[in-house]
Amino acid sequence: MMNSFDNLSRRDFVKLCGTIAAAVGLSDLFSIEQIANALESAAKKPPVIWLEGQDCAGCTHSLISLEDPTPWTFILDEVSIRYHETIMAAAGSLAEKSKEDAIKEGGYILIVEGSIPEADDRFCTVGGRTFKDILIEASRKAEVIICAGSCSSFGGIPAATPSKGVPVSKIITDKPIINLSTCPVHMDHITGTILYYLLTRKVPPLDKHKRPLMYFGSYIHDNCRRRAHFDAEEFLTDWNDPDQKDWCLYEMGCKGTETYSDCPIRKWNNGISFCIDAGAPCQGCAEPGFYPGFSPLYKSI
Amino acid sequence: MAKRITIDPMTRIEGHLKIEVEIENGKVKDAWSTGTMARGFEALLLGKDPRDAPYVVSRFCGICFSVHQVASARALEAAFGAQVPPGGAHLRNLIMGAEYIYDHMLHFYHLSALDYIDIMAVADYQGKDRELNNVKGRIMELVRQNDVYPLLPRYKPDEYCVSDPEAAISAVKHYLDALRMQVRAKNMGAIWGARTPHYQSIVVGGFTQYPDLNQVARFRSMLDDLNVFVTEIYIPDVMAFGTGPLLPLAKAGLGAGHLNYIAYGSGAGALDESGNRLFKPGVIKGFKDPSTMKIEPFDQKKITESVHSSWYKKDAPKHPYEGEQVFDLDRENAYSFVKSPRYENTPMELGPFARALIDQNPTILDLIKNQGFRPGVVARHAARALETKRLISAMYRWLDELTEEMLKPGFKIHDKEHWEPPAEGEGVGFFEAPRGALGHWVRIKDHKIANYQAVVPSTWMSSPRDEHGQRGQYEEALIGVPVPDPENPINIVRVIRSFDPCMACAVHLIDPRTNEIRRFTVE
Repeated sequence: MMNSFDNLSRRDFVKLCGTIAAAVGLSDLFSIEQIANALESAAKKPPVIWLEGQDCAGCTHSLISLEDPTPWTFILDEVSIRYHETIMAAAGSLAEKSKEDAIKEGGYILIVEGSIPEADDRFCTVGGRTFKDILIEASRKAEVIICAGSCSSFGGIPAATPSKGVPVSKIITDKPIINLSTCPVHMDHITGTILYYLLTRKVPPLDKHKRPLMYFGSYIHDNCRRRAHFDAEEFLTDWNDPDQKDWCLYEMGCKGTETYSDCPIRKWNNGISFCIDAGAPCQGCAEPGFYPGFSPLYKSI
Repeated sequence: MAKRITIDPMTRIEGHLKIEVEIENGKVKDAWSTGTMARGFEALLLGKDPRDAPYVVSRFCGICFSVHQVASARALEAAFGAQVPPGGAHLRNLIMGAEYIYDHMLHFYHLSALDYIDIMAVADYQGKDRELNNVKGRIMELVRQNDVYPLLPRYKPDEYCVSDPEAAISAVKHYLDALRMQVRAKNMGAIWGARTPHYQSIVVGGFTQYPDLNQVARFRSMLDDLNVFVTEIYIPDVMAFGTGPLLPLAKAGLGAGHLNYIAYGSGAGALDESGNRLFKPGVIKGFKDPSTMKIEPFDQKKITESVHSSWYKKDAPKHPYEGEQVFDLDRENAYSFVKSPRYENTPMELGPFARALIDQNPTILDLIKNQGFRPGVVARHAARALETKRLISAMYRWLDELTEEMLKPGFKIHDKEHWEPPAEGEGVGFFEAPRGALGHWVRIKDHKIANYQAVVPSTWMSSPRDEHGQRGQYEEALIGVPVPDPENPINIVRVIRSFDPCMACAVHLIDPRTNEIRRFTVE
């Protein structure tokens, strides 16, 4: 079955699969034919439940920031989004029923955005239930859990607040978990991880913090285009000086030497830019210590 | 006999909101608005290097992140004595503008429009337009698969929904086109913001990215596309809805609420504070019609926050700087994490419609005088769309001014002389955010943050009852709203969504240590 691609020729369809794979960095891992076949043979669109705990919806916004494929391709054609508070048409009990039905059927990808308040469960409730209960219930029949962003991966900024946000892995210990830990989640990381899982039904190789090595395999510093200036000890100290504008940001507080992510290669927002390109030091948002562990942000480590 | 219904979660908004209403004779008799999530950001900032604040407070919200960055940077600049150079101010203006555009478009098409379109009417489209037939084909394919999530399930469309197949399919096509355009606006913001959401380049005293002319050209090209979409699609769609199927709702003033409006008036961008403000400050109480409307000057000293119905330790209403709030989740009769800001004890509306009235926007005043519009849901959507166009016009001007600056010798983007935090200091930063007037207050002691407080537009409007029993604006706006079928409360979600709620922003916790009276200079 060809999902919603009926009006495409096989040639167009394969071409589209190639675009998707290239956009999210999977073209080195799978042949375009493999991807096309996997998409075609899917009996039905894989169901997704997306839960929001102590979140800011930034990861949701990142998800819909991909240019190619368009957000519509992902939301309507690739997966069946059975529950997502920010996107779905339904509200209230109608929305909750959609989630309950999906949970009953099982076999879904569970995506979690936001942390879980440890200080008191009542710091986050949805539909009259604590978020912790909702997460535990939804995890039972999930095939895999993908943590979108720093908060659900490591507790993130809420970890250091009075509500004491904790990551999913602290609550759920009997399910495969994939942490995509930047703040917000990288649009390519979330889309590519979902696609990887759909193609293989496997968790990609992970590091010790459960982050996919395909995205978090090397230090930002190792791939930084300002690296030569670091080696030459040319450090930016004045953002106004055009001569310094491409120099190393270490003195301004860059955490690229301690942070694993492929940001310098992949960049953000469809390859437009990323923190260091914009003269802004990397603040270590992919790491478990983010944010308090890296404060003060604008002083060298 | 009144029937009580609860909508929880209130979806297609930012964050966690519960709405409860009592319905009698097919109309809402009473209403309660509850923020159901709290983190406690401000407490986290205490004792930190003040320069961390703009980066951290961006994470209040992933939709309207940069408004907090800028308000925070401005509060700190006041405390540091820093002056943003024109180059840095223009760059901030431009990426803030990018956020405004995507935020407003996304709100109309992706968060609201599904309440006004009978999406299944596309099945009856018989026209020959190739693109529209492509849209029809895609939707019908989803129907054939029996998997139209997340567009279904939904509340049943009523008589105000666009159900003419031609109009409905155009609207659905624009919903999809707008998904692409909001990506374009985010890309545009990332040119100088590093990434969207959560820009990286706004720092105390200015900006981190030294721009080049290629970026100016790239930004302008993207702005051109967005300008075409906003001018030729977004505004006409909102006007066609508002003066077409929704005209009865516009004339009835569905969801008007308290007719009190406030704007702090510091328009997008630091430059606009010195002379050329995009939005004017002002206060309107008890609006009746444009001819009798009186605009009072805004005085920030008249703002208080109440915790009367909120899950914080009991306290009297206080100015944002005097409050002494700590969480108390067991407090009797409290029902929300949201506090209740008031101006001279009066609940207010903020945002595009409030700004349009205070600016005396001719198009909005014309809709009221000559089309019979009343304040409420439809007027809010119209004001939001028209404001987007104003922003775009201003952005073209800022681009020209930035280019001119860049070519001058000694072009600057950052106030390096005031980069180190002072031993002591305090300041307030205002910004007219997409959802309304925003203020951040900061106090510095021993070079560290001693107090931090933000009063956010959605806090004002989603607030619970105060000590005088006055409802917040969401609650008041629901009174009298027709709900003919309690199983299908479509009008309730229309009213709430028209405010563009942002609940992650709305809920704050401030530190118990501050009990001094603070005074701040207002621009």
